[in-house]
Amino acid sequence: MLALFFVGLLTSGLAGAAAYFLPVVVAAYAQTGQARPAAPAPGQASPVPAAAPAGGSAFTVLLMGSDDDTKFAQGVYLTQSMILIRIDPAARHVTMLSIPRDLYVPWSTGGRGKIDEVHQHGDAASVATVERNFNIHIDEWAWVGLKGLVKLIDLMGGVDLTTGNPVLDDFYPADLESTNPYSYKRVAVLPGPQHLDGIHALEYVRSRHGDIQEDFGRSQRQQQVLLALRTKARNVNAADLPGIVASFHDEFKTSFNLTDFGRLRSLLSLASQISDPSQIEQIVLVPPYTGSDVINGADVVTPNWSLIRPLVQQKFT
Amino acid sequence: MIRPRWTAGRAAAVLLMAAVWIASGVAAYLYLGAHRTMLAGDAEKPTEARLRQGPISHLPGTLYLVQGGTLYRLERGSFSPVLNAPGGASRWTQPVFTPNGQSLVVVRRDYASSDLYLVDTSGHNLNPLTHNASRTVEANHWAFYPRLAPDGSSLFFSYDRKDPSNFYNVVLSVYAMPMSAGTSFNQAKKWTAPTSFTGGDIQPVPLPSGAVIYTKYSFDNKTNKILSQIYLTPRAGAQGKALTAIEDGCLQPALSPDGQRLAMICTGGKQFASLEIAHFDGSNLGPAQVLASGQLAAQPTWSPDGTGLVYLAPQGLHGHFQLWLQPVPPPAPLASTAPTPSSTRGSQAARSTPTAPPTPTTAPSPLPQPIQLTSDLDFDATSTIAWHA
Repeated sequence: MLALFFVGLLTSGLAGAAAYFLPVVVAAYAQTGQARPAAPAPGQASPVPAAAPAGGSAFTVLLMGSDDDTKFAQGVYLTQSMILIRIDPAARHVTMLSIPRDLYVPWSTGGRGKIDEVHQHGDAASVATVERNFNIHIDEWAWVGLKGLVKLIDLMGGVDLTTGNPVLDDFYPADLESTNPYSYKRVAVLPGPQHLDGIHALEYVRSRHGDIQEDFGRSQRQQQVLLALRTKARNVNAADLPGIVASFHDEFKTSFNLTDFGRLRSLLSLASQISDPSQIEQIVLVPPYTGSDVINGADVVTPNWSLIRPLVQQKFT
Repeated sequence: MIRPRWTAGRAAAVLLMAAVWIASGVAAYLYLGAHRTMLAGDAEKPTEARLRQGPISHLPGTLYLVQGGTLYRLERGSFSPVLNAPGGASRWTQPVFTPNGQSLVVVRRDYASSDLYLVDTSGHNLNPLTHNASRTVEANHWAFYPRLAPDGSSLFFSYDRKDPSNFYNVVLSVYAMPMSAGTSFNQAKKWTAPTSFTGGDIQPVPLPSGAVIYTKYSFDNKTNKILSQIYLTPRAGAQGKALTAIEDGCLQPALSPDGQRLAMICTGGKQFASLEIAHFDGSNLGPAQVLASGQLAAQPTWSPDGTGLVYLAPQGLHGHFQLWLQPVPPPAPLASTAPTPSSTRGSQAARSTPTAPPTPTTAPSPLPQPIQLTSDLDFDATSTIAWHA
């Protein structure tokens, strides 16, 4: 009878914990462990093959961010932001490389165009396009929508960062506040150290009209906010996961498998270990790595592969 | 076969056991819920803060700070609201005293525009000084960073004049308008020519000489970043002169009451912000001395007697910007000898000036540590602090 009581006690406690983490489990099935890209088509360049990375070995993640408002059909989005991240837990080093959204490249699905547009063919098409053009292997990818990013930053209590310069934009999309996805508003993110909530952090990373570097300046700002979020993530524990998952409802997908505890553990451990800015390398593909051109009437960024690929090989393999 | 007999005692035991099991499950759920990190905790209202016994109660004079769009007055360790947040997207920000200390100029920021208001120190008699709102989104204007000339005759501020050749080029310039009764923005004069697509020229600090110190943003080819520099311009329309090097990334200049030292925030274009001071002789800046580093320091503001600086910086990972006090030693006697050993960095601009900056004759004593004056308050770090005796 006593044994039965204790077994029941243990079981009910576990059931309570299971109920708490149920949203995480559901999300783990729905939003994580997404498909990896298929092998390259015959005749196309094959990315650098990679051994299956163990929890402690270096690996590469492609982060993608999309404007997922009603301008676009459900699930058919451009990637306004693409950041390649190399995480080396052993060396305690992180490298971030922003890919210009207007980079004109051959697509993995055939044809050529801006790299942000290939995402309309799916996450795997974006991953494969990056792999083939940059000649690297991407171990994992993650995609987040605008609202998901806003909710995540708010859930983390906002971010503290030093905004580099006044970010002023008279034609910033007001798509999160209006039913008209083409409406616009004015934003002014003032410079200096400050605390930004989700909506203002989004304004900071999304605005590009008033920046002398246009998309390159925006890429620098995106990396800043990502690093500020990493600082906040040091405080996250397992009990926070259901809230985080709930905030991401339909706004987050990843190839990461939540059952890959080794890699998750090494990621969380690395987040807490990296405190020196020199451990994080930030790269934006400004000229001479890229140039500009007009192709089919559209302004595009042209890649200088003879400079980009050696850089990527050095930093990402 | 012996069948168990269901006695009342046994039934009660089973019921009790079931209740304990249910309680155990609920307790496990609640335990986990209670152990979430309070990442998004709300800041405390300044009026609810118990600060009367702390070092903040020894601050002389009156300070004005902003939390959540509400303007608060701080006197003898006690906060009181002066202008409540107007509601919606509107908020008060960037208060500054008039030279006689009897009024404030404060910015009201709305959804698409901001305006300057003159108000008495109790928050009454609110008078708009600019009218920047428009029904057309892109026809609105911003006015930020008000600062009065030392004689109170002019109001300097940053304003975004429209660029008719490129509507995307929204950039702030330093303007000045008379402060006499009946004047309007039509009489405002543009003082600086900002670099396009950088954010522009902000944070003017008018000097008794008639010159203006301000923060200028420019694109740095070496780092491929837009960085800030402290600039000095002698008159409206004149080409400004850099007081700090572009790679130092300095902003938020604050001149000491005696006009001889300039406090500023320097970031080097990175994610830190140190509080620094440098001697200022009216036209050149000496080597900078770091007073506080390792924080995201913002909005340095001199005490009325020049013996200390208050500034805002987060208290930790939870990110609420708190009020800190950095005691500042009096300037050492000046000589024209070797640079002070405590100076961590002399800017390129300062070094390139023909007149060597005056330097202390003796090695300075170690700086006192900054004192955290508040906790759990979330002050707006983009808003200046006003402090008057």
